[in-house]
Amino acid sequence: MFIPVDLKQTVQVDKDLQIRAYYAGHVIGAAMFYAKVGDAAMVYTGDYNMTPDRHLGAAQIDRLQLDLLITESTYATTVRDSRYGREREFLKAVHNCVAAGGKVLIPTFALGRAQELCILLEDYWERMNLKVPIYFSAGLTIQANMYYKMLINWTSQKIKETYATHNAFDFKNVRNFDRSLINAPGPCVLFATPGMIVGGFSLEVFMQWAPSENNLVTLPGYCVAGTIGHKLMSGKPTKIDLDKDTQIDVRCQIHQLSFSPHTDAKGIMDLVKFLSPKHAILVHGEKPKMATLKERIQSELGIRCYFPANNETVTIPLTQYVKADASNTFIRSCLNPNFKFSTCSSVDNSYLDSNESKAVSRLSVSDDRVSEGILVVGKGKKAKVIHQDELLNTFGEKKHEIQFAYCFPMHMTRTEDIPSASDLLRGLEKCTLISRLSTILSNELSGGNILDLGEQLQVESFRVSVCSSDNCPHRLSGSFQNNSELVFFCCCWSVADEKLAWKIISIMKGSTLQTT
Amino acid sequence: MDSVMNSVQQSLDDNQPLSCQALASLRSLIINPTTSDSTLSSVLDALTRSLQLSRDSVILHHTLKLLTDLATRRPHLSPVALDLLRSDSLFHSDSPRLVGESLSALLSLTSTGNEIDAARFVSLCLGPSVSLRLCLLRNAEKLVVRESVLLAVFLGFTRDPFPHARKEALDGLVKLCKNGDFDDRDVIEACYCRAVELLHDTENYVRSAAVHAVCEWGKLVVISSEDGNRQDLSDAVFIQLGGMVRDMSIEVRLEAFDALGKIGLISEDILLQTLCKKVLGINKDKIYTPIEGLDISASSVAGAFIHGLEDEFSEVRMSACFSLRTLTVFSLQFACEALKLMMDMLNDDSMIVRLQALDTIHHMATSDHLKVDKIDMHRFLSTLVDSSSVIRSLTRKILKLAKLPQFKLFKSCIDGLLENLEAYPQDEVDVFSVLFHIGRNHGKFTVHIIEEVSPELEPTFGGKLGFDSTRVAAFLVLAISAPLSHEKDVGVIPPRIFSYAVTWLGRISYALSDIMNQEMFLAYLSKCSTSSVISLADFKIKETLPTVEGDAPINLCSTADSPVGVPFWKNSGGTSDFHHQKQFGLGKSAAHAEYELGEHSELRKYVNLIFKKAKDFWSLVPLGCTNEALKGIRACKEELTSFNKESPGYAGAVTFTLQYLLVVENLAAVWEYLSPTKMFRPYRVGNLALLFAKLDRRLREIRNRFIGLSKGEELQILELSLVALLLRLSKMDICCYDTTIKILLSTVAHAEFLHKEGSIEPSNFIVEVRKSLHDAGSSSSSSTYKPLLFQKLLDSFSLQQFVLYGTPRYIHAELEVPGNDSENPLPFIPGLPASIPLAITLHNVSTESRLWLRISMSEELIQFVFLDSNLICSGNRSSNEVREFTFVAPFYLTPKAISFTSSVSLGIECFSENVDRVNVSGGPKCELTYLCPEKEIFLCKSAVRSAFI
Repeated sequence: MFIPVDLKQTVQVDKDLQIRAYYAGHVIGAAMFYAKVGDAAMVYTGDYNMTPDRHLGAAQIDRLQLDLLITESTYATTVRDSRYGREREFLKAVHNCVAAGGKVLIPTFALGRAQELCILLEDYWERMNLKVPIYFSAGLTIQANMYYKMLINWTSQKIKETYATHNAFDFKNVRNFDRSLINAPGPCVLFATPGMIVGGFSLEVFMQWAPSENNLVTLPGYCVAGTIGHKLMSGKPTKIDLDKDTQIDVRCQIHQLSFSPHTDAKGIMDLVKFLSPKHAILVHGEKPKMATLKERIQSELGIRCYFPANNETVTIPLTQYVKADASNTFIRSCLNPNFKFSTCSSVDNSYLDSNESKAVSRLSVSDDRVSEGILVVGKGKKAKVIHQDELLNTFGEKKHEIQFAYCFPMHMTRTEDIPSASDLLRGLEKCTLISRLSTILSNELSGGNILDLGEQLQVESFRVSVCSSDNCPHRLSGSFQNNSELVFFCCCWSVADEKLAWKIISIMKGSTLQTT
Repeated sequence: MDSVMNSVQQSLDDNQPLSCQALASLRSLIINPTTSDSTLSSVLDALTRSLQLSRDSVILHHTLKLLTDLATRRPHLSPVALDLLRSDSLFHSDSPRLVGESLSALLSLTSTGNEIDAARFVSLCLGPSVSLRLCLLRNAEKLVVRESVLLAVFLGFTRDPFPHARKEALDGLVKLCKNGDFDDRDVIEACYCRAVELLHDTENYVRSAAVHAVCEWGKLVVISSEDGNRQDLSDAVFIQLGGMVRDMSIEVRLEAFDALGKIGLISEDILLQTLCKKVLGINKDKIYTPIEGLDISASSVAGAFIHGLEDEFSEVRMSACFSLRTLTVFSLQFACEALKLMMDMLNDDSMIVRLQALDTIHHMATSDHLKVDKIDMHRFLSTLVDSSSVIRSLTRKILKLAKLPQFKLFKSCIDGLLENLEAYPQDEVDVFSVLFHIGRNHGKFTVHIIEEVSPELEPTFGGKLGFDSTRVAAFLVLAISAPLSHEKDVGVIPPRIFSYAVTWLGRISYALSDIMNQEMFLAYLSKCSTSSVISLADFKIKETLPTVEGDAPINLCSTADSPVGVPFWKNSGGTSDFHHQKQFGLGKSAAHAEYELGEHSELRKYVNLIFKKAKDFWSLVPLGCTNEALKGIRACKEELTSFNKESPGYAGAVTFTLQYLLVVENLAAVWEYLSPTKMFRPYRVGNLALLFAKLDRRLREIRNRFIGLSKGEELQILELSLVALLLRLSKMDICCYDTTIKILLSTVAHAEFLHKEGSIEPSNFIVEVRKSLHDAGSSSSSSTYKPLLFQKLLDSFSLQQFVLYGTPRYIHAELEVPGNDSENPLPFIPGLPASIPLAITLHNVSTESRLWLRISMSEELIQFVFLDSNLICSGNRSSNEVREFTFVAPFYLTPKAISFTSSVSLGIECFSENVDRVNVSGGPKCELTYLCPEKEIFLCKSAVRSAFI
């Protein structure tokens, strides 16, 4: 089944499978595919290019939530430098050659590189006002140009923007080549197929032009062993034996091109970093280099990475999503923002090592809307999210709270002669004691909001009051004599404020109440 | 009106809120501009009362609309309306929609001072309506809310699940950061951390806002820290931002590169890392921890600028170039590395990027960070033959500052300049100036090079200098700069070279006018040619430009925060001068100007014969034989066209005669329409108006487009104008009486003035006109309309024979847009001014005249551009008659369209009697007489193409 897909178009292939294509650079028509089956999402990309060239853009993709990214890794360890340097070298070589009256032969494949180089030359010709003719040899390349003109929206931004006024593939300086021109006098630039000079027209021209040292032959980045291109690349031969009868005298200049439409290692890393999938798989490349890249991805980006060999199976855990209903209360509470500021202390090792002053506390903000929800999964029922306040109602349960209580004596000094504590309790109002206590606490306790509620004192959930019952259940066994200088306080607090409570208690135990 | 108000009152008195119908009728009152203020105040009262009664949201919505309308239409009532908008029932209502509407109404009506209670602001923000929340966040500045509250709200909403709310919150934080001063370290760190977290947001716009926020708050983090720590912190912020340059979204990348340039002092290691994709050894294990928990490795900034300069989008590349420019100041080594990249950028396919790269290089040159080596020099010098003049001139500007260590480089520089001069002769002025400067900077090399080429400079046999060779001139310029060199002991230039230079005095001194004027230059040359030792003190050379340090940075891309979007042709200063004043040619030979018609009596005789014929034919007109008269005049016209107008001197006379005949022909045609003998002949007003318009235009042309007419000749033309005016006045339905009378009076006054000036006897006709006008003026009511009087006056007119004594010269112009046609349109960017390069040739235009370019897209969209008289002067080298120059006209009204055409014409502003002309702002005050036919220009939307010449 063939499905035509345009860039960024989402296609629902069948009930489960959804695919979307993203621009990949590399060559016209190259795409990365996003595929989603149920909850599992992945991106598969074949060859792509993360840096744009003269006619194609860079790969472009959204930030997606991915379980898996499968990417090519042709150049798993190579890091290429700027393309401007390569362009400069190429232009300089070509310009010097034609300026000296030489002929330039550029053997290329029909697609991609020829257009790239031609745009580069065309632009340079335009700027430098050069009039040297540029020729395209075969109909094949010209046909390719036609397709390029049609598929403008697969090209780079610059070409897309300007094509209304001038289609970049309408080369002004480019003409068709005729065999009779091979030996015509004067400089020229010729694009000829095939790329590695294995035969065909490029070989024919090469045989004619190679013997002159004025001429220049540029070689593509990669040539299969055994081709003339490969021979020229490996060392500079002076003679090449074509077959046993023919020998070519090579005196021309050679320039090696290193334009490549593949992304380099940095590009792969950048893509993986941008997409931040949960897992990554490398395909296509040399094993040791892939292993290096895998290590980098795992150590630098913390993403699990694999590079399976052919026929190897890799199993990857997926995220499971559960669909759940939400209760009305929860939805309503979600509508309203509910953010809180808190000063969270980060407790890490460095803090433990060093002294107290280095403890870092940072103001941070959190929005608790979602965390106020509680997922309820009943047997045979659909999962549901309810608001935490609803929980008790839903299950008909009561709220349980843990309270601590403690009753303990506190020293008291009297400046006047007053008979006993029991008298005192009767005679003196409890309120006075409490307000005394309040003064002490507010002096000792930094922070904390001390509320004086008359007969009670409250700090957060900690409450303290004077205990008048001798048989208070919270009082520890009567190890205290009925000392008139002691007055009992009964306190209670909830779990959350335990630290605070003990701090207050220790303050209270350590100080003495003064009464008049 | 009253009935509406009554029924409204009635319903309000019954405590009924107003119905929709009632509101609709109130609306008609509000939009009607004639409604009195008192009525409107009662409308306001009614609305106030109705608001208190109704809670219906539809009614409230309509009421709100009415209040907004009222406030916009009647500003003096708007305070009351605004109070109502702020009232409880609208702004404080429970419906978020109503609140939102009243909020946006308030914001649109008032610019500042919208006080809002902080608690109310917060509670509205925390409400469930997202749109209202967005509106509040976006306009928080305009509402007066405490900064601390805003900070809390913004920081909180960076957690919002709605991405737009997050973006607005981040934007709000950025604004706060710029305006307020915060010294609470906790707050600053919290904001910074939050922004860093949002760098990984899923939405592009949130990420780009986050980048901005990281940059701004990061700077604050740096500032608020202790001194010892600052370097590390700013490095860390820089790295954090550098990690964003590989984002897939262009807006994020753009923002990231803008931000990279703003951080400030960055350590060299990190800077160098941005230019190398591989992680440098020194940065291998560098981990920065600006704030606990935000560890970041230096490796993430690797190759940031390499990526930026390679970006697919020219905006990003521009931004990267611009940021590099600010960073080169910090490190010499970094500057060297960056320079290599910049040299490569000169190969970019986008012109603006190339310009920005050159600008960056220039900036480096001015800050003394420019060290060019041989390979780069080759690349750099090739821009001297670039097809774009802006690029060339910027390159030369950099060369002016260059200080080259080796003779080889110097020589290649000079060769480059000579090549430039050869390929583009129009750059001569600037090239000479650069040669002079570069010569002064490299005295020894100069002397050396002159020794090498001196055989070329010597007169060839026969004693002739190679005067035709600009190359020789260029070397002479170089040579004469040596005595003024900044170096010591530069050696001696042979004195005779200076005397050779005198032969080029005009051109050289013109090129060096920024340093010395012609007289001083001559004195300098004569002194140098006699003695080989001169002292600088003798000459007050302006030291404004020449030294390496002295140049002010080019104002190419304005120093605004981001270079992107600043159109480079809007620049002021340096480059534009060349642009505007570059000369095309030297005009036609001056000899032509002195051609006297007097010597060609044959022509004059012939022309005067035609004038006589015209007079004879005119005499048929009052008799009613207009058709015959017209036929005759047309025959005369045909006779004239047989004359060869190309021949010098003829042009003026022949064109003048032709124009005269056209006027007479038109007058005759109008006369026939209005002639008293054919009183009852039906005619169409439209036709007549057209004829009049044509006549007016012809008259204006004949009066304004010829110079060199004698007083008598001018008077005769004036008479024709008077006839035209009287014809107009004689027909009530086609003239605006008052204006026409005014024009008539001033024309008569002008005629009187000419009489006195030239002591000429006024013709009968003029005497008659003056007398009757005087009578009419003295009679009680001047506005009484007397068509008969004017007809009587017309009867007294008879065309006198025009006799040509002098040589009228024809003012005209040629307008060319070089290389522009429908196939090769000029580029423009919608919304930004487009530049239209015009090659203008003016014939016989005096420098005092006020010239305007009229650029129109349609009848409504017209733009006038004034041509500075200096500009006209600048084109004047050889002749008063013909001036040629180029001018780049800005066209501001570019539409949002792929392509459009506009037409340009050149007009001269001329004195006109029409005193009541409305002064169109920006345009000419008086009417224009157009000097050339309209020229159509084709423009097409484009990223900047190389057609900017």
